[in-house]
Amino acid sequence: MTPKLKVALAVAVTCALASLPWLASATILQFSISTLLLATLAQGWNIIGGYTGYASFGNSVFFGLGSYGTAIAMVQWHLPFGVGLVFGAVLAVVFALVLGIPVLRLRGHYFAIATLALSQVMTAIVSNLEIAGRNTGLVLPLLNGDPLFYELSLALLVLATLTVFWIAHSRFGFGLIAIRENEDAAASMGINTTLYKVLAFAISGIFSALAGGIHAYWITFIDPVSAFDLSLNVKMIIMTVFGGPASILGPVVGAFVLSGISEILSSAISSVASLFFGAVIIVAVVFMPRGLADVLRRFRKTGWRYFSENVKKYRL
Amino acid sequence: MSTPLLEIRGLSKRFGGLVAVDDVNFCIAPGETLGLIGPNGAGKTTLINLISGSVTPTTGEILFEGRSITSASAFRRARQGIGRTFQIMKPFPGLSVLDNVAVGALFGTSTTAKALRVAREEAREWLELMDLSRHADQRADELGGPDRKRLELAKAIAMKPKLLLLDEVMAGLNHVEIDDVIEAIRKVRSTGISVLVIEHVIKAVQSLADRLLVLHHGKQIIEGAPDAVLADPRVIEAYLGRRRA
Ligand SMILES: Nc1ncnc2c1ncn2[C@@H]1O[C@H](COP(=O)(O)OP(=O)(O)OP(=O)(O)O)[C@@H](O)[C@H]1O
Ligand SMILES: [Mg+2]
Repeated sequence: MTPKLKVALAVAVTCALASLPWLASATILQFSISTLLLATLAQGWNIIGGYTGYASFGNSVFFGLGSYGTAIAMVQWHLPFGVGLVFGAVLAVVFALVLGIPVLRLRGHYFAIATLALSQVMTAIVSNLEIAGRNTGLVLPLLNGDPLFYELSLALLVLATLTVFWIAHSRFGFGLIAIRENEDAAASMGINTTLYKVLAFAISGIFSALAGGIHAYWITFIDPVSAFDLSLNVKMIIMTVFGGPASILGPVVGAFVLSGISEILSSAISSVASLFFGAVIIVAVVFMPRGLADVLRRFRKTGWRYFSENVKKYRL
Repeated sequence: MSTPLLEIRGLSKRFGGLVAVDDVNFCIAPGETLGLIGPNGAGKTTLINLISGSVTPTTGEILFEGRSITSASAFRRARQGIGRTFQIMKPFPGLSVLDNVAVGALFGTSTTAKALRVAREEAREWLELMDLSRHADQRADELGGPDRKRLELAKAIAMKPKLLLLDEVMAGLNHVEIDDVIEAIRKVRSTGISVLVIEHVIKAVQSLADRLLVLHHGKQIIEGAPDAVLADPRVIEAYLGRRRA
């Protein structure tokens, strides 16, 4: 495919997606909004986890900060939604800068564990803030406008994907990949590793926070436990890894496919659903540990051997 | 004499009870190649780590182009013109050989934010020099030992450093390969850069170094012209003697 054709295809797909509110039922629209938000979250995680190689469990904190930032601005200060979104994103950036600098010094599992701890701490802090409504949370003004939320979510996903596209083709992104591949070598070759990591964390956080803000206004009610829900972070990771970390469309495809499967399963057989979902993930990790994106790239060349080779190569 | 490119003053590094580098003092002039030899565990790699900023000194000072860089971070030193290789090689395993080198061209001492395409073009030239062109599109972790060594060197050279720190880039290579690498280092050096070369291969040190510095138990025991240093009884005892024994 020529670059021009790819751009044309991307624009066509985006336009088709944008026309969904005129075609789909209310239920499908609701499902689509949450899928688009999940895809945005996965795409955000892709920046810190996929490109930079830092398995963040702090992205659900960004989501929570975005939710609460928007809610506080709208409920307590009676500011418009747009200002609330920006406030949430600012909170995320401040969090990324203040806590990113110490936490991003840790590597591998230590980073993952530290961010995990942060998410617990944030839940506790927010549960005790008067302005955040303590344990009971906040109720946002009601806006009946699913088509609007849908278009907003789609726009945010497009923005996140364009950002990842830029990262994949820029000097900055090249630096992030070098950090993932070998941080010491990256530093000794002139990459400002601390700055790059913190920026990646912050950009990742901005998208999570914006998704959180839209989500909060959409569902009109937030409380600490659901806003800082760690399982949301786990979903981001699974979707990204399933689709293909450090690829431009992998996280989006991963989110669409897995959301679809889980929706079908949960409407059919709810109790077995999560079990089956787990099985799908295990099979995916064993047979395609580098994600769908890698399958698409290499399957043509290697055929079905692709799967057996993966099993051998990663000793699974 | 003009200001030295690198000046080391009373540099020491202590790891717990072990003094790995003990009060070392020396200079490297612009365009000069200094050979650093010494038995295993003498502190050679630690000295390079101190200069490149991977390790912070316990005491002492490091000056680059007359300014203290003692507390500068590793990436800043790289940008100022200190490029290094790692004895335990640190390739970017998942990247192509070409992109490994492109990182050096894209970052390193480059001050303009050049396009990825330009960096890759530059990287191709360095691969040519290091005889790695046919591996350009392979993943770095698919390379064999000798090619990995050459890649490590190509990455550092692509940074266009003013001072190149080489930590045993010839270890594990055969005679023909060693001659090729020596030739490549000569070519790079002809652009006027300084080199600090650690090597156990005496032939390589002799043919490259303008001066030799010998470390033993972290202390510099002698410094001078290569032939004189290699003939010195202290060196034969500390270094060559022990190897032959
Ligand atoms: N990070 C570290 N922590 C503790 N001890 C260290 C560390 N790095 C090096 N050492 C010790 O310092 C001493 C000098 O090590 P160094 O690697 O500098 O020697 P070398 O001259 O490069 O040896 P070789 O020829 O084997 O490469 C050794 O005893 C080593 O065990
Ligand atoms: Mg060494």
